[in-house]
This record gives sequence, C-alpha cells and structure tokens, in this order.
Amino acid sequence: MNLQEYIELVFTDYTLRTITLGTAVLGAICGMLGSFAVLRKQSLLGDAISHAALPGIAIAFLIIGTKNSAAFLLGALISGLIGTFWIRGIIKKTHLKSDTALGLILSLFFGFGMLLLTYIQKMPNANQAGLESYLFGQAATLLESDVWLMVLVTGISLVILLLFWKELKLLLFDADYTKTLGFNIKFLDILITTFIVIAIVLGLQTVGVVLMSAMLLAPAAAARQWTNSLGIMVILAAIFGALSGVVGTAISASHNNLSTGPVIVLVAGVFVLFSFIFSPGRGLLFREIRFRKNRSDLQLHKTLSFMYNIAKTHEDTAHPHAIKILNNFQGFTRKSLQKLEDKDYIKIRGTMWSMTDSGYHTAANLYDQLIKEEDE
Amino acid sequence: MSSAQIEIQLIASLVAIACAIPGTFLVLRKMALITDAISHSILPGIVIGFFITHDLSSPLLIIMAAASGVLTVVLVEFIQKTGLVKEDTAIGLVFPALFSIGIILIAQNANDIHLDIDAVLLGELAFAPFDRLILGRTDVGPKSLWIIGTILLITLGLLFTFFKELKVSTFDAGLASALGLSPVVMHYGLMTVSSITTVGAFDAVGAILVIALMIAPAATAYLLTNDLKKMLVLAVLFGVGSAISGYWFAHALDTSISGSMTTVLGLVFLLVYLFAPNKGLFSVLYRQKQQRIEVSLLTFLLHLGNHQEEKERHVKHLNEHINWQKVRSKSVLDLALKNNMITIDHNIVSLTKKGKNFTTEAIDYIVTNKNSEIEHMKDRFFLFRG
Repeated sequence: MNLQEYIELVFTDYTLRTITLGTAVLGAICGMLGSFAVLRKQSLLGDAISHAALPGIAIAFLIIGTKNSAAFLLGALISGLIGTFWIRGIIKKTHLKSDTALGLILSLFFGFGMLLLTYIQKMPNANQAGLESYLFGQAATLLESDVWLMVLVTGISLVILLLFWKELKLLLFDADYTKTLGFNIKFLDILITTFIVIAIVLGLQTVGVVLMSAMLLAPAAAARQWTNSLGIMVILAAIFGALSGVVGTAISASHNNLSTGPVIVLVAGVFVLFSFIFSPGRGLLFREIRFRKNRSDLQLHKTLSFMYNIAKTHEDTAHPHAIKILNNFQGFTRKSLQKLEDKDYIKIRGTMWSMTDSGYHTAANLYDQLIKEEDE
Repeated sequence: MSSAQIEIQLIASLVAIACAIPGTFLVLRKMALITDAISHSILPGIVIGFFITHDLSSPLLIIMAAASGVLTVVLVEFIQKTGLVKEDTAIGLVFPALFSIGIILIAQNANDIHLDIDAVLLGELAFAPFDRLILGRTDVGPKSLWIIGTILLITLGLLFTFFKELKVSTFDAGLASALGLSPVVMHYGLMTVSSITTVGAFDAVGAILVIALMIAPAATAYLLTNDLKKMLVLAVLFGVGSAISGYWFAHALDTSISGSMTTVLGLVFLLVYLFAPNKGLFSVLYRQKQQRIEVSLLTFLLHLGNHQEEKERHVKHLNEHINWQKVRSKSVLDLALKNNMITIDHNIVSLTKKGKNFTTEAIDYIVTNKNSEIEHMKDRFFLFRG
C-alpha cells in the first residue's frame, strides 16, 4: 500500500479512519497536557505513571474476568494515581530524591503488574489473550467508542484548562506567589497531575506502557523551542502531537510489520530534532550563526579600536596610515578591513587606510554601554 | 531443591549484588533514572549485535548493548548541555526513541529473528540454567552465571580499588576535582559499569527488574543509614534477600520470577518506608507532631515570661489570647507541668525557675538565629517530650 492509496483509504476504510482519528486526538491531548508536565519538570512522571498503571489493568481484569477497556482505564487510572501520590509522599517525607522515587515506583509497580499478568496467563480463562498489547500498544485494537472517549476527555480537559488557565499558569511559574495570592495550590496541583495521569492512561492502549512517556514529552519539548508563551506552546504541542499521530499511523499503515506506537514516537522525535536545530530563537543552528556573527563583530571591534588608538595620537584623525602597521595585530584580515570600509568606518586607498569621522566616533564610544549601536 | 533451582537462586543473588553496588552510587548521585534509560535503550544494541552474529549469547551482543547504553548517557548529556530542555526531559526523549528503533528493527526482521520483546523486557530466569557453558567437554555451569559472575568480579574489583575516589566524587565533586580526581572519569566509569551490569543482568532478569534491583535496594538502605559502607552492605543484603524470597514466592504462585522478585522488593521498601526509625513515614509524622507541640510550648512560655499581670496568666485566657484549640492548650499545659516549667495556682499559671531559664536560653538562640541549637537544649531541659 503506498501513501496515496492510504490517503484514499482513510476516508473510506472504517478501521484506518478510527485509528487515524484516535492517534490524532491522543497526540493532541498528550501535547496539551505534556506541556505542563515538561514545564513543571515532571517529564519523567509520565514514564513512571504509565508503568505504574499496569497492575491496575491486571487487577481490573482479575476482578471482572473479561476484557473491557472502560474497566481497564479505571483500573489504570486508580493505580496510576496511587503511584503518583506515593511518589510525592516519598519526595516530601523522606530524603530520597525525585529521581529515586520515580525509578522505584516505576519498576516496583511494573514488576508487580508483570507478576499479575503472568499469573493471569496461567489461569484457565481464554479471555486473557491480548492483555500484553498494553505493554507495547496496539493501535489496531482501537474502537470507535475508544475514540469517542478520547474526544470526550480531551474536551473536558480543555474546558478545565481554560477555566483554570490563569491559576495554572501562575502555579507553573511561581508557586509561592500563587500561594500568597490565596489560591489553593494543593488543589491546582492535584488537578493538573490528575489530568496528566488521565492522558497517559488513555494512551496506554495505543502506544503502550513503555513509549507513553515520549508521547507526552516529545510534542511539548518541540513546541517549547518555538515560543516563550504558554498559550502558544500548548496549542503548538497539541498540533505537533496530532501531526505525529497522523503521520505515524500513515507510515506504519503503508508498510508491513511496522507497529504504530514506535513509529509515532519516532515521528515525534523527528519533530523534536527539527525544532532543536531549526527553531529561530533557541535552535542550535541559529545559535551557532549568532555566535559566529558575534565573534566576527568582536574581531572587527578589536581592529577598529586598535586603529582608533593610532588615529587619536594624530591631530587630524583622518590622517592616512599604512596597512602594514596593522600587521602585528591578529584581528586584522583583508576581509575585515573590507567590512570596516563597507560600514564607512575607514577609507582605504592603495596600501593606506584612514579613519572617517563616523568610524572615529564609533570607536571612541565602543565600550560605552549607554549609546546604543545602530550598525547591526 | 534441585540443582536447577540452586542455580537460579545463585544467578539471581549474583545479579542482585552486581546491581546493588552501582545502584547505591546512582541513587546517591541523583542519577537513578539513567538506569531506566539505559535498560531500555540497550535494545537496539542487542538487536544490531544479533544481526551481525546471529547468536544470542555472543559476547559481541553485550559489547554492542553496553555501547548503546553509554551512547544514551552521552546523548542525554549532549541534549542537556544545549540547554534547550531540562535533564529529565532529555532522558525522557532519548530512551523511547532508541527503544522504538529497537522494536522496529525486530519487527522488520521478525521472520528470521528469534528475539522476543517480552523476553527482553522481562527476562526469563527460569530458563537460565538450560543454557550451559561447555568448555571442552565438561559442563561448567549456566552461561548467565558466568557472565554475571565476571561482571560482578570486575565491579567488586573497581569498587575496592576506587572506593575512596568514588566516595569523594559522589559527595563533593568540587573537592574531588580539587584533589586531582577527575569527576568526569568517575562519572563515565560508573556509567560504563552500570551499562555493562544492566546488559549482563538483563539477559537473566529483563529490563524492568534491572531497574528495580538497582534502585530499590539502595533506596531502602538509604532510609536506614547515612553511612556509605553500611548502605552498600544493606543494599546487597536487601537485594539478595528479595531475590531468594522472590524466587520461592514465584515458585509457590507459579508466576514470573522477575515479577515476584520486584514485588518482594516493593514490599520490603514499603515496610521500611513506613517504619524506618528516624526517616520512615510514621517517625517523620510523629516528629513533626512532637515539634509542633514543643514550639507551641515555647510560645506559651514566652507569653508567660512577658506578662506579670494575673489576667494574662489565667488558664482560660490561653484559649482566647493565643487562639488555641482546647485540646491543644491542654496538651501544652500538661507538657509544661510534666517538665516542671510552670506551676498552676488557682488557675493562674506562673513560670518556675527552670521554665524561666529555658525561656531565656531559647530566646537567646532565636535572636542569634541558631534555631538548630534549640533541639540540643530540649534534651537538657525536657523530662518528657511532646
């Protein structure tokens, strides 16, 4: 199946449409809530919670005895929340640091979940097949009802975000100030954490326990590079998330043997990589360019101030000097002289140079911070 | 016990020891999560190694896996150094990407590869004794036993050789570099050892239990002691204890060995987390309550010291003036009485000599901002704590 067929199929084929919609919505909600996780420095909380949700799924199965995604979601949610609050308890009440707490809960809960899963596998119950799909996710198992559930949850979290926008923003950037203003930060904290847990739990079925954290982080980390405004970042992250969902599904559907989860994660990874390199404000490429430009500016300034020191010993500052006397000075090259001439700081005639008035003036005030330079 | 059972327990114990040692340092250096990253991202290394050799037990696999573990660390640090995202985000971005590549590589070649993702993630300790190492014609034991044994020996050798250096660079990187020990070398050395241990243990117990075996024993030990040597010993004991009891637990329930070992580790941690002396949850809560009452007592004594008039010193007055609840004022009064700091005469409270001394000293400490000294002072004055 090539890409064009795929696009046609999206509009006609029920399964493909469901999966595409599902991953798009999932990407959007993860990007949205992931922005908060990243900014709150809780990036790896997602990893811990997604692992911690596993025993909840297994226990839900043990209780009801059949596969039922609503019950699984509830179980995952409860055990994810227990994990989250235990992590907070460990960080707050003991001297163990957050990384240890996260790693502990992640591995211990997951191990317990695996214990239950292997126990279930040995039970004489034919229904247990397919529980493993929660480990690595299987987008193909998405049903239309699952997608509706995702849409519903996305809608609710959007409303909550908009309702508490101001408070959440304040909490993100200055928790102490929020407290002094009289907001209940405990409530806000629990609110946003709960929604992050919900987003993670929703994604388990599609991308799986192991890769869920990337789903939460990658769109937000990519969006962060393009803006400094929280609102724009949340919107961008939602778009990046949805795009990685759609593109990832498209790629995995048009090849054999490509599971959806890892492909979505890799597509999101490409977004991150692209943003890291090419974002205009923070990106590595533009940073390097700015760095080089600053360095060459500095060289120019060095040369200019050297010339100034020569010129100021003469009554007539425009008195010509030989280029040769600059030779013992490293900052000078033919190119940098040319640049200085282009900026009209010096005049070059043959092998002689002379300072212009504007060059003399600029050089005299080179280190005066109060005078803003306009020769950018 | 059959010999296979003994071998499994032996392997599990060796893995536990080999993990607990680097784990202790990782927990102390606040880098526990790097094990999570490493254990996931060695997958592409293993897969590529397998493509080259087509042999799951070839040493090249271990080398490739360890290399991709170190690559993870390097990548994480590179991303972190750009300052574009925080360290935890960098970890969270790198390992899922590498893990995805591993899964896709496996899926793409599913037909000619006998590498099961479940086995990679969970390991299968039960099968470990069946993969024997045969030298010449003699059977010298299970392969994983030899692999993890070698790794453990190397780790122990490095630990004893560089114990002092590790200790200094863990607790005071600045001092370490001033003394001429390179923290960078220590850091990458530890990372390499962790990677190799992860890879070696991984085969036997899987990616997730490796994380648990590295972090949980060390974290549990850290709640019980502040001494590095004791912490190492305790971590090893917890690791081995959980490994062996986990095995029997799995044996009884007929479930995955690695899962039940993790569960035992979790239970042990939970117990210590709740009941550890000084650092456990209950003792922290108890201490907080105690301190709350003692601070109230101090406030109360200061109030008495400031007022000579009887109206201010009436028992009933406490409730309205200092605005305390009845129960609280009663417990504070009782505590003060028990410690002979006040006397109550016709419902009028007055300070005893001891109470006055205590108050003046406490004020001295508060004024000079040496609040921590008050704890020592309490030991001298108090017959009963709050």
